[in-house]
Amino acid sequence: MSGRVTRRRARLLAGVVAVVAVIVVLLMTGLGKDPSVIASPLVGRAAPNFTLPQLDGPPVTLAKLRGQIVVINFWASWCTECQVEQAALDQAWRRFRDSGVVVIGVDFEDSAGAARGYVRTDGVTYPVVADAGSKTALAYGLRGVPETFVVNSSGRIVNHVIGPVGGAALASVINSMLTGAQ
Amino acid sequence: MSPMNAGEALHRARAGLPGLLVLLALVAGLVSMISVAVSDHPPASQAQQVQQIAAGLHCPICKDLSVADSPAPLAQQMRQEIAQKLRAGESADQIRAGFVAAYGESVLMSPPRQGVAGAVYYLPLLVLAAGLIIAFTLLRRWLRAPQPEPSGAGPPQLSATQRRAVARAVARLREEEP
Amino acid sequence: MGQLGTYLLLFGLAVSGYGLLAAAVGAKTGRPALVESARRCAFGLFAIVAAANATMLAALLTNDFAIRYVAGNSALETPAFFKALSLWAADDGSLLLWNLILAGYIAAVALRFRRDRPPTFPYALGVLFAVQAFYLILINGPAHPFASLANPPADGRGPAPLLQNHPLMAVHPPFLYLGFIGFTVPFAFGIAALLAGQGSDQWVSVIRRWTLVVWCFLTVGLLLGALWSYSVLGWGGYWAWDPVENVALLPWLMATAFLHSVMLQERRGMARLWNIALVIGAFALTTFGTFLTRGNVLSSVHAFAQTPVGPAYLAFLALVLLAGFGLVAWRLPELRTPASLSAAISREGAFVANNVLLLAATAIILLGTTFPLVAEAVSGQQITVGGPYFRSSVTPVFLLILLLAGTAPLLPWRATNRSRALHRLRVPATAAALVMIATAWAGVHQVAAVAGFGLAALVFVTSGQEILSGLAIGRHGMRGSAMRALARGRRRHAGLIVHMGLALVAAGIIASSSLGQQSQVTLKTGQSTVFAGQVLRYQGLHTDRQPQRIVLTTAVSVTGPSGGSAGTLDPRMNLYPASTAPIGSPSIHRGIVWDLYASVISLQDNGDSATFRFYRNPGVNWLWFGGLVMALGGAAAAWPGRRRRNSGDDNSAGQARTRPAVEAGAR
Repeated sequence: MSGRVTRRRARLLAGVVAVVAVIVVLLMTGLGKDPSVIASPLVGRAAPNFTLPQLDGPPVTLAKLRGQIVVINFWASWCTECQVEQAALDQAWRRFRDSGVVVIGVDFEDSAGAARGYVRTDGVTYPVVADAGSKTALAYGLRGVPETFVVNSSGRIVNHVIGPVGGAALASVINSMLTGAQ
Repeated sequence: MSPMNAGEALHRARAGLPGLLVLLALVAGLVSMISVAVSDHPPASQAQQVQQIAAGLHCPICKDLSVADSPAPLAQQMRQEIAQKLRAGESADQIRAGFVAAYGESVLMSPPRQGVAGAVYYLPLLVLAAGLIIAFTLLRRWLRAPQPEPSGAGPPQLSATQRRAVARAVARLREEEP
Repeated sequence: MGQLGTYLLLFGLAVSGYGLLAAAVGAKTGRPALVESARRCAFGLFAIVAAANATMLAALLTNDFAIRYVAGNSALETPAFFKALSLWAADDGSLLLWNLILAGYIAAVALRFRRDRPPTFPYALGVLFAVQAFYLILINGPAHPFASLANPPADGRGPAPLLQNHPLMAVHPPFLYLGFIGFTVPFAFGIAALLAGQGSDQWVSVIRRWTLVVWCFLTVGLLLGALWSYSVLGWGGYWAWDPVENVALLPWLMATAFLHSVMLQERRGMARLWNIALVIGAFALTTFGTFLTRGNVLSSVHAFAQTPVGPAYLAFLALVLLAGFGLVAWRLPELRTPASLSAAISREGAFVANNVLLLAATAIILLGTTFPLVAEAVSGQQITVGGPYFRSSVTPVFLLILLLAGTAPLLPWRATNRSRALHRLRVPATAAALVMIATAWAGVHQVAAVAGFGLAALVFVTSGQEILSGLAIGRHGMRGSAMRALARGRRRHAGLIVHMGLALVAAGIIASSSLGQQSQVTLKTGQSTVFAGQVLRYQGLHTDRQPQRIVLTTAVSVTGPSGGSAGTLDPRMNLYPASTAPIGSPSIHRGIVWDLYASVISLQDNGDSATFRFYRNPGVNWLWFGGLVMALGGAAAAWPGRRRRNSGDDNSAGQARTRPAVEAGAR
């Protein structure tokens, strides 16, 4: 009995170890990633066009900005994380404005009054538009704020950031686009 | 009626329920089920169509809820967008494709049927098939196994003490009967 | 206080380490004194962990913001009740509760076996201490709740708004934990049986009742979770097929399978190893569930904030799987029972079918929940597997389970006298058919719903019929009352009551899934709309400023079809400073047949206009009531009988009944 039983035991054990190993490896792949971060399918594709009214000013049409690098930042006055990236965006606007880079803030699910208040108190200098009805947000696959899209001069989205965008990261992306045509 | 009398009444009713009547009821039940299955559903109104499409889309800012169920403002606006697109003449597939273009495939509540992801639709069938195979194999093995033989000797003679012990054990067994 | 908590937890770890060693060494070398000292440790361990919990509770109630957990989960203005609940509101704190309940179970085991013990007791104790040691390592290491802040803030952040909105938060996690953690005990005894190599029938008589009690707790925990989702979240439903909800359901399904197949072992000495595998599987699923919930692997409404404990849970899960199923594989040649069956259509066959269906449901839900992970690992695709998939794949299995529950109680053991079973099926089958005809006539247009109502009726009538006939038989020749007759076949009758509860739950699920209505409408103050035969008029907004939140309450008057007032609905929006989006609280008029449910999803013009969602939810209260009946029936089945108080009795009866099977199996 012992020889056959031992071999059978060994085979069964090997089977158990193999299955557990597969399960563990599979689950490990999920450990490294943040499940709430979902890759946007728009990266590498044409940026959806929009014409949105500014808070105080004429409407802005994305298509008319073809030939320039555009940084589209979705934000809201009620979004606490948006305040974190405010300085970085303003800095990018001031630094790269003369190189033809445009920074546009798109207000998401907000009231005009609250948005204006935010612009005043936080000192936003770049153009800010309101996306009433969230049609543009839906076209850009927005899952929350803040999210930032960087559009190159041919109108294609080359970068997408979920969460507050860092000043250094944004600057490096814009610089690489300005120096080498992308 | 006390539970006792109900039990006896049920016992009497059961004895008297003719098999033919039961069969008739079963057939009628089956027929009604089939009639429901093949009956034409009235064409869905636009509001219902919006609901149907929305139920197949995952609300992007919620966890787990569909666009139809979600109370979030973005979901509301998605429903309005779906209604607008329906009025503009887009088909359900086109509307879904539009959202997938912006959000990726994870905006669909169920994965697309093609590709690796489509394998999930075969899983339930595979699972059930595997279960049935295992069950049949097991049952066949058990059915073929030698049945326990009753012993040749007659019932053993018990002393009074043993009889009492048996009676106690039987009473306990009855109490525990599953 | 943070220091005290830290020391207590370290001390607890040391004690559980000693308990593990003492039990293991005592078991291996056969020294009962060591085992006894390990057993006594269990009480000390419980006291220590309880003290640690009390310390955290005190810290929360006295606003000790020097402790990071308190600063992150409580605030000065949080009401005291919710401050106390913050103990389990977030990951680290809930681990404290986890450890407490686990220590409580070990102490209960130690108490239960203070005199007569099965030979597997020392091993089981060792396994229990080992599991406790893991969770204590976690709480002393990566998930340390007593970690202190260098600069304590003046005020804390407060609990997550959703978790301080409703008193159900007080009961849902504890009951769920009681259910989840409870599976450790059968697991420990299962491993012990494998380690000791014993004929495991003794194991079964010990464990069946424990598993039943744990099952009852988990049933209540799941019910409370669904009730919370329905009454608090405001989306009109009670089950969203969220990954964490799904993994909480899996051990319940496996435990249900065990509670049925254990009868195969008791009555016929069959399926011994299978039952051990089931309890190992149930525990592994709870561990997997913990990993999924706290490891931040899948996106879920229950997701705790990102913590570094994911790899630890995964390692523990791997250990559990390897040890558990490895031992099963090792012992497989020895512990296989030579079982026999006279016919497939018998009670034994029905239990096999029961296990197949329940495990199939478990596998489908498990695979569906983890599929996004697999798909992303294999092909990089990010997909969602949501409610529609689970509903359509689990419904057929669920209906088959109902069919089984409605027919199996009539089947005899060993397939004797099956024509009698067919005869007893007449009334239930007729009732089922009539219900199907009635629902089809009433205009229900989903086939699954019609079939489902019919099958629920089948289950209900079969169970009722068997209980009544049990009463009639039991009364025969006895002077006793109905209660005495019920008590004579207590386990069977309790099981039938559970089935009746199941029928109610099934009817409730089917009704609410297929017959519900909803409508979204924006009303200005004074405007009204007609929904579900009622006239609903928006009367205005009322603002209430509370210390921790602002509550905006809308008033909607309800007028019945006859013109009489039917009360007021008052759905609310709660604004918490920590949260950017308002948390809605629905208002529900509960009725026996259907609920009128209202949710306010947005306000415009300072409350002059509000957007509401109204729902007509039929059958939801059958769900709660039926679930309660299931839990109570389970408790009745677990209740010790009059003669069972003496634990010696229990074991000897078990041995007497099953010794022939053990002897036959050993050869």
